[in-house]
Amino acid sequence: MGRSYFVDETVEKYLGGLLADPGSCVTGFLAGQSSPQRDFVVLAVQTPQRESEGQLKSSRGSGPLDDIDVEWVTEHARQVSRMLPGGLCILGLFLVTPPELSKDAQNTLKRLIFAMDKCISKGRLWELTEEDVTDRVTLHICSKTKKTVCKTLDVKDPKSSAKPADWKYQTCVSSSWPMLTCSVEVDLQIPLTGSSSDNTDKCMKDCLTRWAKQIEAGNCLISGRQALDDSELISAQKKNLKTTHRQTFPARILVSDEQPELDERSSALVQLCSGSVRVRGVVHCRAYIHNNKPKARHAVQAIKRDIINTVSSRVEMFLEDLLISEGSRKGLCTGQQALPRRVFAPMPFSGLSVCDYMFPDESTADVADRLKEMLDWETPEEDIDISLESNQLFSPELEMTDSHSDDSRKHVISEVQVENPHIHKAPQYYAGVAVAATIALLATATSLLYFSE
Amino acid sequence: MVYSEECAIIFRLKGILEFACQLDNPNAGSQSQSTISKSFQGLRSKVSSKNIVFTVCNSPILIWPNTGFQSSMESLTEASACGDILQYIESDDGGSKKTLKKKDKKRSGHTVVNLKLLFEVTDPAGNEAPSLIRVDTQQHCVKMPLHLDCVLSVTTEESLASVCTGLVETLRKQLAEMEEVVQRYRKGSSFLVPQPFHFQLPEPAGLTTVIYPAGVPDSQLQAIREDLHRKFELPSDRPYLRRANAFHFPDVAYKDGYLRNPHIHLNPPNIEDAKLYLVQGVYIYHHYMQDRVDDDGWGCAYRSLQTICSWFQQQGYVETAVPTHTQIQQALVDVGDKEPRFVGSRQWIGSIEVQVVLNQLLGVTSKILFVSQGSELATKGRELANHFQTEGTPVMIGGGVLAHTILGVAWSENSGQIRFLILDPHYTGGEDLQTITDKGWCGWKGPEFWDQNAYYNLCLPQRPKTI
Repeated sequence: MGRSYFVDETVEKYLGGLLADPGSCVTGFLAGQSSPQRDFVVLAVQTPQRESEGQLKSSRGSGPLDDIDVEWVTEHARQVSRMLPGGLCILGLFLVTPPELSKDAQNTLKRLIFAMDKCISKGRLWELTEEDVTDRVTLHICSKTKKTVCKTLDVKDPKSSAKPADWKYQTCVSSSWPMLTCSVEVDLQIPLTGSSSDNTDKCMKDCLTRWAKQIEAGNCLISGRQALDDSELISAQKKNLKTTHRQTFPARILVSDEQPELDERSSALVQLCSGSVRVRGVVHCRAYIHNNKPKARHAVQAIKRDIINTVSSRVEMFLEDLLISEGSRKGLCTGQQALPRRVFAPMPFSGLSVCDYMFPDESTADVADRLKEMLDWETPEEDIDISLESNQLFSPELEMTDSHSDDSRKHVISEVQVENPHIHKAPQYYAGVAVAATIALLATATSLLYFSE
Repeated sequence: MVYSEECAIIFRLKGILEFACQLDNPNAGSQSQSTISKSFQGLRSKVSSKNIVFTVCNSPILIWPNTGFQSSMESLTEASACGDILQYIESDDGGSKKTLKKKDKKRSGHTVVNLKLLFEVTDPAGNEAPSLIRVDTQQHCVKMPLHLDCVLSVTTEESLASVCTGLVETLRKQLAEMEEVVQRYRKGSSFLVPQPFHFQLPEPAGLTTVIYPAGVPDSQLQAIREDLHRKFELPSDRPYLRRANAFHFPDVAYKDGYLRNPHIHLNPPNIEDAKLYLVQGVYIYHHYMQDRVDDDGWGCAYRSLQTICSWFQQQGYVETAVPTHTQIQQALVDVGDKEPRFVGSRQWIGSIEVQVVLNQLLGVTSKILFVSQGSELATKGRELANHFQTEGTPVMIGGGVLAHTILGVAWSENSGQIRFLILDPHYTGGEDLQTITDKGWCGWKGPEFWDQNAYYNLCLPQRPKTI
């Protein structure tokens, strides 16, 4: 029995409107939410053009399908997956080809899907559970007949073959999806053993992974009640409210300081450290859950994963950016540096939201440019909500030895001289630049550096 | 043993707090001391903050004690009697086990409500986006988990608000005591983990918590115990405060699979005017076929000896494990009582051998009581009663062809009527409490139980007078 994909009509319109040069191919991703019974697709975006593509076409001779830059497609998907709030993820890829290439399309799609999954799951700090769906959808569209072929591939099993799946269009797939929100306080003290920047990255990753486990193990309250067992998210009475109004549920997370690896010791763990890094601040989190009898525990999982992702994404982006602007492996300088802030904007077509991360010297115009580049969508600047996380205050009095200080912190709002000011290149970083290939290469290199095990 | 008449509830709050600090120079005494103090101060602030949450185990109840008392259950407010919580708690076993549990509750007089300490991370004071702060000084980073374990003994009428305030106060106090232990036992960058132990002390002290450093054996903590004995006005010949004597919460199962004190599930015999004189403290029921040793037919005295050894171990007088048959035999060879070929044989032992082994392996002395005829045992009421009152140890009795353990007597001074509480080592089944009590493997027997014509020797172990 194949999977069923319920796809918003707006996606149909978008796919139908894609312009492709005759004889060439268009790739792009599909995003939405998977549930054990069925899947929902709410967004489709074509892969942005690489600036140098014009020259490439004439030089290669083997055909448009081979011209597809697998790295570029997967890099686009990876960066967009950071922009998706909890509950939503990249579900698969689409490929538009001319009729003569249709027979080879499936192979190309298979290659792309596995490469993309590998790219996206690197750096993920939480583990997939048995309930997580590992099927990814591939949609092939013939540019002449507009005929679509929908199949799924199980990324857990590289040897498996594609299975047929249902692709059904519906109106307003996500208009009444409930949304969970919360603001989470983060205060992580990371001791750094060893002095190389590789070591720093590993220490940070280990600490973040441990913190992620604490969040995953924490109790979660949705609208003041704990999600126990198999209960449904929306109680029977509330279901009768047939409105298109989206319900918002505040979530609360309660954690405990479990440290199983230190439990058996009779003495404290003492390490000689060359320094330490502290990650401190408040992150605003959001998750969506489909409204087809959702279980409370799936909603809980979605918001918890969003909390973990938003912190790890920012740190990852900060380090990537540092690598690009600094070039060498200089690593983090001392003092306080702001991590990018999370801002929200409406998702193309559906009423859901996407997020982006704004560095301190950026403006909403930069965010709007990125959204255009990544999501093929014009966002008016006033629609970008930057109020949920506020700018960092720089306090020279932040000592390393005061853990959990009380609320009467004295803020001294003065600029601290940070050794290497952040050299920002917003549109350049995300979109194709003269050296588009270098960016992709550097990004891959950073992922390897940061997360290689 | 205190049988409490009023319905007491013990609130037990457990949680883990990570202790972390950075020391520039661990050997610089006062600087390190103040850094450690500061970290503990931070932890005390944390438990006083509005972000702490108590969750009642096995129930959907959550309480925020420091935000003007918020609870997740509308029917439980700050003025509610804390006993009201009990109706929301699910017990995890049912059936016959439950009836046994009810009996236990009557005997111990305590209901335990377990709480877990959690911290809310979703109610931040501000909404400043995160920053990364790097410090480049070489430091010693110290980390250890503090396993907090606080108890509060109250009546069911006490208000929830006062229970919560009491628990928060207890948390702060425990952190202060833990700091004291950490500072006292710190050597440079070596920190010992402070561990809480609860002891049921005679009134007025009641259920008391003491913090001991992990890894330091009881033998090295003598001075601490002497101080505490003075502080709580405890007699100086009973080890109230050894770790092994920590209070055993009635709802916690033992992990080793052995049965302890099966006699508490029995109804005392119905003799007019009789008083009960029973073994004091905890022993383990050792019997035939246990630990995969097939000693059916010859090992009864060995098993009785094991039960006695378990008593000394459980009350903290010795730290060595209960000896095996081989170890018992080897001990007898070592003192010259038996030939070397005794080891590995299936030879019986008697009360004298039990006395010798107790002395050799545990350093425990015993008195021997000789009875020329089984019928005479009925006249030994006073002596046995005295033994259980002063020493309170299990008694091994051997005679005829059998050995047994006497755990107590029901004796009437006026009529002289007597019953013996017997623990029978000849049982070959599994650790099934129901069978053991129903079939009389642990049970009350009359004077006719003994072989009226055989002679008997009793070994009465003497309790060492130490703390």
